[in-house]
Amino acid sequence: MSAAVLGRRPKIGQDRTLLGVVIFIASESVFFLAIVLAYVAYREAGLATAKANLDVVRTAIFSIALFASSGTMAMAASARSGAWLAATMILGAIFLIGQGTEYARLLNEGVGPGSALFGTTFFTLTGLHGIHVLAGLVALAALFTANLGRARAVHAVAWEAVGFYWHFVDAVWVVVFSVVYLGTLV
Amino acid sequence: MRPPADAIGTLALIVGVIASLIFVGVEAALVYAVWRYRASRNLAGEAATFERNRRLEIVWTAVPALILAVVFVLTLGTMAEINGAGVAPAMRIAATGHQWWWEFGYGGTKTANELHIPVATPIDLDLTSVDVIHSFWVPELGPKMDMLPGTTNHLRLFARRAGSYDGQCAEFCGVEHAWMRIRVVVQSQAEFDRWLAAQRAPASTHGGDGERVFLSNICVSCHTIAGTAAAGTAGPDLTHVASRATIGAGVLPNDVARMRAWLADPQRYKPGSLMPRVPLSDADLDALAAYLGALR
Amino acid sequence: MTAIPLWVRRPAGERVGWLRTVDHKEIGVLYIGMGVAFFAVGGVEALLLRAQLATPEAGLVDPETFNQAFTVHGVTMILLAVVPLLVGFANYMVPLMIGAPDVAFPRLNALSFWLSLVGGIVLYFSFLAGGAPDTGWFSYAPLAERAFAPGTGVDYYILGLAVNGAGTIIGAINLAVTILLMRCPGMAISRVPLFVWMTLVTSVLILGAYPALTAALVMLLVDRQLGGHFFDPSGGGQAVLWQHLFWFFGHPEVYIMVLPAMGMISEVIPVFSRKPIFGYAFVAGSSVAIAFLSFGVWAHHMFAVGLGDTENAIFSATSMLIAIPTGVKIFNWIATMIGGRLRMTTAMLFAVGFIAMFVIGGLSGVALAVVPIDLAVTDSYFVVAHLHYVLFGGTMLGIFAGAYYWFPKMTGRLLSEGLGRWHFWLTFAGFNLTFLPQHWLGAVGMPRRVFTYAASTGWGPLNLISTIGAAILAVAMVVFFVNLVRSLRSGEIAGDDPWDAFTLEWSTTSPPPPENFARIPAVTGRRPLWDRKHPEARDQR
Repeated sequence: MSAAVLGRRPKIGQDRTLLGVVIFIASESVFFLAIVLAYVAYREAGLATAKANLDVVRTAIFSIALFASSGTMAMAASARSGAWLAATMILGAIFLIGQGTEYARLLNEGVGPGSALFGTTFFTLTGLHGIHVLAGLVALAALFTANLGRARAVHAVAWEAVGFYWHFVDAVWVVVFSVVYLGTLV
Repeated sequence: MRPPADAIGTLALIVGVIASLIFVGVEAALVYAVWRYRASRNLAGEAATFERNRRLEIVWTAVPALILAVVFVLTLGTMAEINGAGVAPAMRIAATGHQWWWEFGYGGTKTANELHIPVATPIDLDLTSVDVIHSFWVPELGPKMDMLPGTTNHLRLFARRAGSYDGQCAEFCGVEHAWMRIRVVVQSQAEFDRWLAAQRAPASTHGGDGERVFLSNICVSCHTIAGTAAAGTAGPDLTHVASRATIGAGVLPNDVARMRAWLADPQRYKPGSLMPRVPLSDADLDALAAYLGALR
Repeated sequence: MTAIPLWVRRPAGERVGWLRTVDHKEIGVLYIGMGVAFFAVGGVEALLLRAQLATPEAGLVDPETFNQAFTVHGVTMILLAVVPLLVGFANYMVPLMIGAPDVAFPRLNALSFWLSLVGGIVLYFSFLAGGAPDTGWFSYAPLAERAFAPGTGVDYYILGLAVNGAGTIIGAINLAVTILLMRCPGMAISRVPLFVWMTLVTSVLILGAYPALTAALVMLLVDRQLGGHFFDPSGGGQAVLWQHLFWFFGHPEVYIMVLPAMGMISEVIPVFSRKPIFGYAFVAGSSVAIAFLSFGVWAHHMFAVGLGDTENAIFSATSMLIAIPTGVKIFNWIATMIGGRLRMTTAMLFAVGFIAMFVIGGLSGVALAVVPIDLAVTDSYFVVAHLHYVLFGGTMLGIFAGAYYWFPKMTGRLLSEGLGRWHFWLTFAGFNLTFLPQHWLGAVGMPRRVFTYAASTGWGPLNLISTIGAAILAVAMVVFFVNLVRSLRSGEIAGDDPWDAFTLEWSTTSPPPPENFARIPAVTGRRPLWDRKHPEARDQR
């Protein structure tokens, strides 16, 4: 059990839960690195399709929602505020909806995981990221629900841990958006 | 140039000697420790208490490192040699892996499962595959090289002595991986030229019942016999099938009787192979086997 | 405290509590039980393979069955036997050795076990669902793509390995956090037992390697089920990408399998030599070096793929480099024995056997790092011989050493030394008879994964000898099982510290109480129990 007293921020080097979450994030990073490297290895072969089909501006707008949600999450964690948490969830959901509509548009145009190499790598990379965002939303919802009950019973470390995971999911999107979307601009 | 197999053999000998010396030394030390210090020998006094010696650690880290550095340098040298560095090939042969047979191409001339090369001549094989990964390996002639679909790899061959050399596929490629054998026939330049000229010629036998059976069945959809209408490429080229020592990439010796047995039921000898069982009458089988047996 | 094993202590009506336990000791036993069971299954698969190969052109099994058998044998031994055995011992012993009451996340610990087991069950379910995977334990693409493996076998492979891998990753997080944050007072990281060090390093390896496997499996699933082209050349993909990803996992995986076993013998040898381990810092430090380097050698499994001389040379260099810290350990173990008073218990016999066999496996490994030699013997029985010398002659002998050493702690009873000797010598003889000839078979041209071979090759006699060796090994394993069962029932009562050992697990009862220690200990050196028993001669570090 964490020895952190409510009110004092737990430290990674001392708190088991935080250290565990950080180590988990490190291992998930290796996972994403492998998928990103595969994307990069195949990027040139699929670049023409990428340029023709990706909507950078539209996705950038939805990305801003995700990036902003990291900010709201930081606010939520430091103030242990359900309101900021709700804002985070809404922004995260907006991002996913944006992704969903992007997928629908691409599939409509005949670009899918089975269509060509770009389709395979794009849907795998962004799809895996989307699944991680979804899992994050579930974690946020669990935290929100627990906080609605006896807010004092929710350990400080829970806010930190969920926050770390959410920032990680965001950081992965920074990389994915840069490589996949911004990469079509060069 | 030196045959790659010889270059590798020399390096293996050197590494083998070093490894043997290390093996004997370390195992002797181990046996000595157990024998000398077993408690049942009722040694006087307590066990020693020493537990570190930095100098010793440095020595037994540095000495293996030095040995390995030497081995590495030798490795680099042999790597360059077996690739045929600085020696241009006299000939390039296209080798393509199929599940579960080998296609060899000499320019436009195709044969299967049996590779002929002239002796003491540097040859480059251009290796690829049409399906899964295979690996060309004839141990007496040199190293192996994988055959990947979508890319071309290269392997240098140089045989010092004429003769027949056997090998087989070395990358697991499916159900009949074990029966994807290779025969390499190394011949004098004159014999090789004669062989190649014969392979380039169209089929040596024409007309007859056997050819009729062949052309009127699904054989033609997979096999080529130059000089006939059969131009299928999914299976081995049969224009000179009787000139080869085995059937089915090593599964049966090649004579008329066994050819007939193979034709009657290939799945019996190579279950899972892509050649289906075609129901033919006894008379047709006899004719077909005789026909193929004459395609030298 | 009477020596009643933990699992019997529960009243009869509560035995089902085993399914819900979150105690690291019970979970350790569950893991070990899983490992033992799958080891037996994998062994039967091996006997089938050896029976078929004993004579040329045998018809004992058809190629399809054989190919499934060697695929499942590899996955079973590596992921369902060896790893669970090692994780099981780590789960049981690490908290005890560091003076902790349990692991950091007890409920996650239970989850990791059940995921590991379910992954194995999913894999074996494939036998009932149309056929097990038959593409080899490393399942190269494009053979593993839908076009060439149309059944569901490979899909069960993907699912089974992914679930099993998730369990292992979670387990590694747990062990890492436990070791980093739950050591008792005075136990600096430089004082932990070497088995604990190795477990920590292994956890880091798992966390860096398994995700690459998961990524590869996901990509293969996308190819197979969603029509993707990751590994499909006709769609623009490359077959070699699978190999890079798989071996980036696969090479650290072999160190994941050997380091904990090295940790076990690093405990056994000092205790039965009555001396501290020689060069603790170097044994610990060399493991860190091995872990680091192990991420840089993967393409030595791909020397014949055609990556090019420069790439091959780089990986040849790193592969030779990694031999150095490995050799250092061997010298340190031997130096530990020198000047000691060696008690040749069965545990010690297996530890010495580990060293003897691992030297052979290590030397054949260095030979394989020499690219031209590798190009001659890779994909042949030479590699089969090498891998079994390090994983059976090495890891399994190390696990047996740990088993004989720690069985009394876990059960309160000693394994029979008499049967233990039979177990050891039959294993030693059977093992070498099975695998020594295979070096030669590979060198003269026998490829791996062949369901039979032509009589004209002349490979028959050596294959027959190898099969006879396998039969002897089977007898050895039966002896071990008999020893296990008999000793569980009526083995000699062990007491807290039957070996007069050095580390904290021996300071509590056998088996330990649920909370491990009546009072959390404080330590001042690497051998806390030795210090307690010999206060006039306490360790300086």
